[in-house]
Amino acid sequence: MDSTLEDGVILKIENVYKNFGGILALNGVSFTVQSNSITGLIGPNGSGKSTLFNVISGFYRKDSGEIYFQGEKIEGLNPCSIAMLGIGRTFQISEVPEKTTVMENLLLAPKRQCGEGVCNVFLNRRRIKREHERHLDNALDILELIQLTDLKNEYAENLSGGQKKLLSLGRILMSEPQLLLLDEPTAGVNPTLVKDLMVAIRNLRDQKGITILLVEHNMRVISEICDRVIVLDFGEKIAEGTPEEIQSSKEVLEAYLSGSSKRGLFNEDS
Amino acid sequence: MGLVNFLAYLAIMMGIYAILSLSLNLQYGFTGLANFGHVAFFCLGAYTSTILVLVFKMPFMIGILGAMVIAGLFGYVISIPTANLKEDYWAIATLAAAEVVRIFFLNEDWVVGGGPYQGGSFGIGGIPQPLRSLFSAYTYPFFYLAVVLVCLLATYLIINTLTQSPFGRVIKSIRSGDSLPQALGKDVRAFRMKVMAIGGTFGGLAGCLWAHYHGFISPDQFLPLETFIVWAMVIVGGKANNRGAIVGAVIIMVFYNSTRFLKDYIPIEEVTLASLRMVAIGVLIVVAMIFMKEGLIKEKKTIY
Repeated sequence: MDSTLEDGVILKIENVYKNFGGILALNGVSFTVQSNSITGLIGPNGSGKSTLFNVISGFYRKDSGEIYFQGEKIEGLNPCSIAMLGIGRTFQISEVPEKTTVMENLLLAPKRQCGEGVCNVFLNRRRIKREHERHLDNALDILELIQLTDLKNEYAENLSGGQKKLLSLGRILMSEPQLLLLDEPTAGVNPTLVKDLMVAIRNLRDQKGITILLVEHNMRVISEICDRVIVLDFGEKIAEGTPEEIQSSKEVLEAYLSGSSKRGLFNEDS
Repeated sequence: MGLVNFLAYLAIMMGIYAILSLSLNLQYGFTGLANFGHVAFFCLGAYTSTILVLVFKMPFMIGILGAMVIAGLFGYVISIPTANLKEDYWAIATLAAAEVVRIFFLNEDWVVGGGPYQGGSFGIGGIPQPLRSLFSAYTYPFFYLAVVLVCLLATYLIINTLTQSPFGRVIKSIRSGDSLPQALGKDVRAFRMKVMAIGGTFGGLAGCLWAHYHGFISPDQFLPLETFIVWAMVIVGGKANNRGAIVGAVIIMVFYNSTRFLKDYIPIEEVTLASLRMVAIGVLIVVAMIFMKEGLIKEKKTIY
């Protein structure tokens, strides 16, 4: 264990830099995420939110800085190993594998499945069957949560954009992460379902003890479910606080208003 | 050749190529690996078994096992440097690997025991047929057909079990890109390597069966063209469907051997006709691509 681990900190980002051919996407970002919290990550387009997600989950290699997950430095790990540590993520543009049904998508996700080993497929049939039944039960619960039960045998590529978003949330839940990085979980999801989703995300924290870090443009979602909000602009953290503090922060308003979009930060729609 | 014997020959060829197309289907159809060098496994299987049985006087069973192990290992080894490549680069790398194998056997005649007119471009003949002395010339093909069908059945059962397991779910998720399975903690690279090894193993099996049936092998039987015939089988039969792969092998083999009979009906020289059959197979691929993108038998949907 590292001395950098303060009590209840699950993720610690320290001075992380990332540039793409001279463009500084992350310019020394530092913050911590409390265990068992919901933290919102907001900022104008191009402020580095998705880049940060990609750096944390190992898809991009950071130029410098440190990232600690549960007190351990995660350094030079590939995305697969980081996922195995317990950091789950969804993508901004939901990917679904071709010719795979909604149910298969969910059953794909659990980690360390016995039946993923070639020899086990032939030698451990009974254990695979037991695991399969357990995962199937889990999957049915999750389908209920994301309201896709009726579509469980539909090919995932035929779902709408919003449904794909829900499916990728369901899929990552099947893998039972400890820290969940959600990239715009409510984009394209219909407004009534967004309310259910907010309740569901809160339940993930309260009932399953999952810590959530989410990028979101819908400010109503941010202010209703987030414990803390971190604001990025030009790859730098410009503010951090409770949703109420952020809403009254002058710097944040300026960051949004000075951008090309003159749309206000706190409009009802997003 | 009598009609019955010809049909036995045709059925044996269908069986051997069905094993090949099943193994390519595992790699291309299910995992999305554009393996353009599948003939390498076929070639390695044929040569390994020939060397073991003819040069080292081992029994046929050892020949089969050796062929499968060596071809499987080769699949594993070539995927070490290539496992992270994208589809098109993968295709080029495997095509090159297959040519390396062929050119190795073309130039290194000592591997088959040496001797005048042996090995290298002369090929190697006199490969013993298993249990040949127990059968007459007329009944032997039927015995061999039974051997091939048993091997085909085993291949089908093993590959089909794999593709319907959680292992099969993971390799199917790799087809559309690495990032999603990686984000779910699946070691994409390891899965690709396993698939190459398993596909290679069965490719080697097919090569072994082919060598011992014909009794003669030479490097020019393992040109890249062979790979594309197997590709035609997968595409026409239906990718990511194991039955489709077998049906594809049957159809393409019928096409491939049809010139034997067409020469009686079409006023073209037999040599020209033999070349035209490749054109016919090409046309078949194009037609399948345009009108039946998923092949004759579509990928099966698993219902829960």
